[in-house]
Amino acid sequence: MTTEKIRHPSEAAKSVALQKLGSFFAEQPPQKIQMPPARLHHLTRRDVLLFGAGALAALAGGSFLLPQETLTRLGVHRNLDPPAKEWFLSRGLRLDDDVAEALYSANRRVPTYTKSQITPLKNNYNGATPDPGYISGWNLILEGLASGLSTSLDIHNLLTRFSLQEQITRLVCVEGWSAVACWAGLRFDDLIRGYPPVSQAKWARVESSVNLDASGNPDPYFMSLDLATARHPQTLLATHFDGHPLTVDHGAPLRLLVPVKLGLKNVKAITRITYSADEPKDYWAERGYSRYDGI
Amino acid sequence: MPQQQPVLVVKRHHLMVRWSHWLNVPILLGLVLSGISIYWSSPVYQHKPDPITGNFDVAADLGVWLCAHVPGLLHYSDPPDWIYNHLSLGPGMLALALRLHWLCAYSFMLNGVVYVAGSILSASWRSLLPRRTDLLAALKIFRYYLGLPFAKLLRKKWLHPRFNTKYNALQRAAYFSIPVAGCLSVATGWAIHKPMQLHWLAAIFGGYNAARVWHFWLMWIYILFLVPHLILVLADGWDTLRSMIVGWSRRVEPPQVIAHDH
Repeated sequence: MTTEKIRHPSEAAKSVALQKLGSFFAEQPPQKIQMPPARLHHLTRRDVLLFGAGALAALAGGSFLLPQETLTRLGVHRNLDPPAKEWFLSRGLRLDDDVAEALYSANRRVPTYTKSQITPLKNNYNGATPDPGYISGWNLILEGLASGLSTSLDIHNLLTRFSLQEQITRLVCVEGWSAVACWAGLRFDDLIRGYPPVSQAKWARVESSVNLDASGNPDPYFMSLDLATARHPQTLLATHFDGHPLTVDHGAPLRLLVPVKLGLKNVKAITRITYSADEPKDYWAERGYSRYDGI
Repeated sequence: MPQQQPVLVVKRHHLMVRWSHWLNVPILLGLVLSGISIYWSSPVYQHKPDPITGNFDVAADLGVWLCAHVPGLLHYSDPPDWIYNHLSLGPGMLALALRLHWLCAYSFMLNGVVYVAGSILSASWRSLLPRRTDLLAALKIFRYYLGLPFAKLLRKKWLHPRFNTKYNALQRAAYFSIPVAGCLSVATGWAIHKPMQLHWLAAIFGGYNAARVWHFWLMWIYILFLVPHLILVLADGWDTLRSMIVGWSRRVEPPQVIAHDH
């Protein structure tokens, strides 16, 4: 640039502008300071000591937060987890849940896919898969309704009373894997309109009494769902998977499909929905996971 | 008491840059350790289940291989979990690992803001910008480092390429890449944390599954950066290390004057 001769005023202006831009991005010469050695020595000692204190604090903080099993593996034996640690980690989780809630928008639809993008979906029952014997006598019980009554619906009631919506969406597991699948079912919002909850209700407890633990013993599954999410246009009470009625693997005859939440909120074989003003308990929140699980 | 001559120093790193630099040590360590623990629950790299062991995780295969071939590990009790037992918080603790990961992730983002603020206040960001001549200059410095051990062995003179800026071209490339990688780690992290509300972000990285792969490999950038970073700062001497603690350096003159010149 500097070796070129400037022939025209407009070129000169351009060159000045470029130089200005160039000097904006150019490195500045280092700032030299004169300092009495005593003061320099004092400042250095102060900063190095502060640094050491910070390193020790980080070490203490790290060993405070590390899981018990990790510490045991490192040869540190500490037999109690301080309650402050649980409190602190839960606060962190709560903060992340608040962020997730702020990100949620009732009008934002999740991406939908074409049939060719469907991927396999494994039976991810947490424990053993229940014996299909429960299906013939299955009922959905609704509680916490405005009517003050508890209502029992069978699958025939649900399929004749409500229209079905089909959608191909992604189900994302807390573990990290995901699957694109084709679902059909009634909209949770339609059920809420058909059987309105008590006016002050903000939550639904969605429950499956047929859930089993790994060794096949009854282990009822219960999960909290905020009504804002229940009313999302893509939140379904699914009755069909891939064009066919749900199999026992996928939670026959009715499961929750809530694509804006992690898979663990998508309760299979729902037997009861209870509306409430207060946040109900949640199976996985009791085991250290998030309560909101919005994705 | 004799009158002491004042000494000349130069300001090298802003207080906020120094703080965020050192805070990255525990934060990134926490992110990597909890991240690999989370990876355990659904590995990105899988193969068809082994007919005998049922294993499908490439990281578990690596552990099995290590325990079969590394002399000190031949009697290790749980070869498939070797990687997770040594490079993560441990296997089978997803809930805890997630909580620690979010805690570290929010700290990492806050720390990034502190770093950017310090870089702007001290104008030090200008020293990180890549220049047109950097590619060639960086290659020269790379060649210098490659040849250095041999030159030492043969007691030959081996001169560092000259430069008269705060950082040399290779340093600029590294120190510019790390904040960029940090931004990409945060972006891919949000993409896989909120793939529905931020589905456009996941789409930028090629979708949810691809964003997980990005997030995984970005971690290796920090690990790969750290090794030469540690070696070189120790090789460069106390003044360089101290400048990141106290902020100033006694190396007042540009490096080309200090280097042995011929």
